[in-house]
Amino acid sequence: MSGTTRKRFGKFVVNFSLFLLILIWTVPTLGILVSSFRHRDAIATSGWWNVLPHREWQPVREIDPKAEGFDPDSVMEIEGATGTFEEFREGIESPDGKHRITWIGNKRIGRVEVQEQVWTVDWNFSLDNYKQVWGGQDFEFTKADGTVEIVPGDDMSRAFLNSLAVAIPSTVIPILIAAFAAYGFAWMRFPGRRGMFTMIVALLAIPLQIALVPILRDYKTLELNGTFLAIWLAHTGFGLSLATYLLYNFISGLPREMLESAFIDGASHFTVFTWLILPLSVPALASFAIFQFLWVWNDYLVALVFLGGNPEFELVTQRMAAIVGARGQDWHLLTAGAFISMALPLLVFFLLQRFFVRGLLAGSIKG
Amino acid sequence: MKRWFSILVLLLLVVFTLTACGNETATTEAPTAAPTKAPTEEPTKEAPDVDFAVMPGGFLEKALTGEYAGTTVTVDGAMEGNDPDGVKFDRGVAAFEEATGIDVNYIGNKEFEATISVRVDAGDAPDIADFPQPGKVTQYVQKGVVVDVTSWMSEEWLSQQYNQSWRDMATINGVEAGVFHRFNGKSLVWYPKDDWEAAGYAIPTTWDELMALNQQIADDGDTPWCIGIESGAATGWAATDWTEEMMLRTTSLENYDAWVAGTLPFDSPEVKNAIETWSALWFNDDYVFGGRSSIVSTYFGDSPAPMFEEPPKCWMHKQGNFITGFFPEGAKAGVDYGFFYFPPVDEAYGKPFLVAGDVMVMFNDRPEVKALMEYFTVPQSASGFLEGGGALAAHQTATPDMYGMDMERGIAELVAKATSFRFDGSDLMPGEVGAGSFWEQISSYVAGSIDLDTAVKEIDASWPRP
Repeated sequence: MSGTTRKRFGKFVVNFSLFLLILIWTVPTLGILVSSFRHRDAIATSGWWNVLPHREWQPVREIDPKAEGFDPDSVMEIEGATGTFEEFREGIESPDGKHRITWIGNKRIGRVEVQEQVWTVDWNFSLDNYKQVWGGQDFEFTKADGTVEIVPGDDMSRAFLNSLAVAIPSTVIPILIAAFAAYGFAWMRFPGRRGMFTMIVALLAIPLQIALVPILRDYKTLELNGTFLAIWLAHTGFGLSLATYLLYNFISGLPREMLESAFIDGASHFTVFTWLILPLSVPALASFAIFQFLWVWNDYLVALVFLGGNPEFELVTQRMAAIVGARGQDWHLLTAGAFISMALPLLVFFLLQRFFVRGLLAGSIKG
Repeated sequence: MKRWFSILVLLLLVVFTLTACGNETATTEAPTAAPTKAPTEEPTKEAPDVDFAVMPGGFLEKALTGEYAGTTVTVDGAMEGNDPDGVKFDRGVAAFEEATGIDVNYIGNKEFEATISVRVDAGDAPDIADFPQPGKVTQYVQKGVVVDVTSWMSEEWLSQQYNQSWRDMATINGVEAGVFHRFNGKSLVWYPKDDWEAAGYAIPTTWDELMALNQQIADDGDTPWCIGIESGAATGWAATDWTEEMMLRTTSLENYDAWVAGTLPFDSPEVKNAIETWSALWFNDDYVFGGRSSIVSTYFGDSPAPMFEEPPKCWMHKQGNFITGFFPEGAKAGVDYGFFYFPPVDEAYGKPFLVAGDVMVMFNDRPEVKALMEYFTVPQSASGFLEGGGALAAHQTATPDMYGMDMERGIAELVAKATSFRFDGSDLMPGEVGAGSFWEQISSYVAGSIDLDTAVKEIDASWPRP
């Protein structure tokens, strides 16, 4: 084996395993995507893979067992095949091997089908799920006198706007504060710096759930409950420790010489921060922005506690929880719901993606 | 290149903040506009004609003169504003809002049971909470944060609106903690009506008839029952319903109440007999679609599906009236499916009916809140459910002609014919048992991983004792 073929073979193995991994990772998403275009009853009764070509037994002919006088309590001979009722229920192959004879139903109202195996695909797609998720369900009320009134449901646009109004400031505010803080911790000398920074890192390990009741109590006194300001502040607080820590790691890694020369030229801390640090930390800022945006967009608990007191401010996550119905009877709508609520975060991710990759690599290859 | 990126990102940040401000103003305007609308409506001094009964001398009577117009009452509960139940609830209180000018603000969510304790602990309790499980109200009664409804509603009025059983079910530690609103009937068996008639089966009215029918359907080559108890973290609740049905059918009401209160242990002959009664049916592989082993792994909502295949693969399914929401699209009541009363086992215990419902509990003592509580005592407050289906009105003043749906009316008539009724016992037990060990142990028992004696002992051990 020559060197080049070995190299080529190695490349093939890597590519093949990558392809396999990607396939394994994307199959569930693909399944949900396909399901979201199928009808409710189709989702409930058969798997999404039925959209792929497959072989299925389909009836060619029907026989009425009563008219033919078959006695299901004894051994029967139908179309050349012999067997008991139980065996026919499972299906018996006809002597020529091309057909299957199956008893459908019970002894009382059953029928006999002669079936043939054919290639088929189940391509009965519809946009119903998306329409119902986006447009809301219609409700039917029958009054005592028999008149029917149809009440249309709310569409989802308000939930989308609300979610944006929560997610954007909840992303921007912590980034602004954390960038200042990270700069301070990295490049300014002041007493208690180490202690304070350790505290911030320690806060990373504290679950936010334990803060819910005390914060709610404070908000109650400040009359902030159920306002956007309340949830912005809450998300800012919960996200700030991670933001400060991430940005500190990045900003403290910037070349010292560059900052020193700026100071020698007479730059103040503020000038250095706005003209040097901010532009240089764009990758770190962007990758944190993606994290925070996704977390806030997908958050259900924090929104429920601080914004739940106001039904006007229904968010996408709350909407998703509501569409399945009081007892989960409409769970098939979640398929379409997942893609609708996913659309915006995906857009954000693809727009900021190249910063994201640079952010992950930032600092790893500098000489 | 680098400068390009930084300019781009700075621009992005500016745009972001701009849109944020835009959104902020746009979305905060909407809610402020809504409340200001209410007071501008001229409060009518004379009480408008309303088509619901009003308690004489109460707060609702005053509210109808417009005395509290412009105020807001918040109700928290487990329905979501946009789910079908939330819409039906809103419809029920619309008449109240229109007649009194009081705004009812329903702020439900799916995690109600978790968030209500956070809210009450933080001193941010809603004016009224809509509890689907009265057992959960106990802790708030003990804390003394619940207002007793008898403190202002007259005995005469309450006993006129409610059957004594409903009032007993709302009474906790001697405090009448709330009033019942809507409820679900559970003692119902669903069957595929058209095929059932084609096959010539008869509706069983006694336990012997039911067992004979089971055997007949099995002899005809099908499994009579569709049973599934999988429900995520709540797997097993459907089995607790069967246990409650059997407790009501095989022993006295006193024993049922004692069992729910924790004085009659699970490890008693009565409770074990009740569980064994349904086990005889469940564990017979000829009687259950998919056999015993499939019961625990079948989602309760999907379990009736084989009943709707043509021809059906199973013929009976016992569940509360909400199960119709899971039936296939286009299945028609009275054609594709029907229901009958789950027959009594021992005639000596009459015709009991198992129910579950929502109790309205008042936390904040204000006149407009009291007015709404009074409104909840009339069946018109549940009109959204009566006209839209899905639940019944708990009030004894609800007449069959208030129901728009034939099916709900039929269930209401069945409930009216019952000799006794009891609330879903597991919902009244402490959470550790009723929403915990009872579900888990009974599921293990059905799955066959533990025997009945172990299961009942484990449940008894988990009962919280002071």
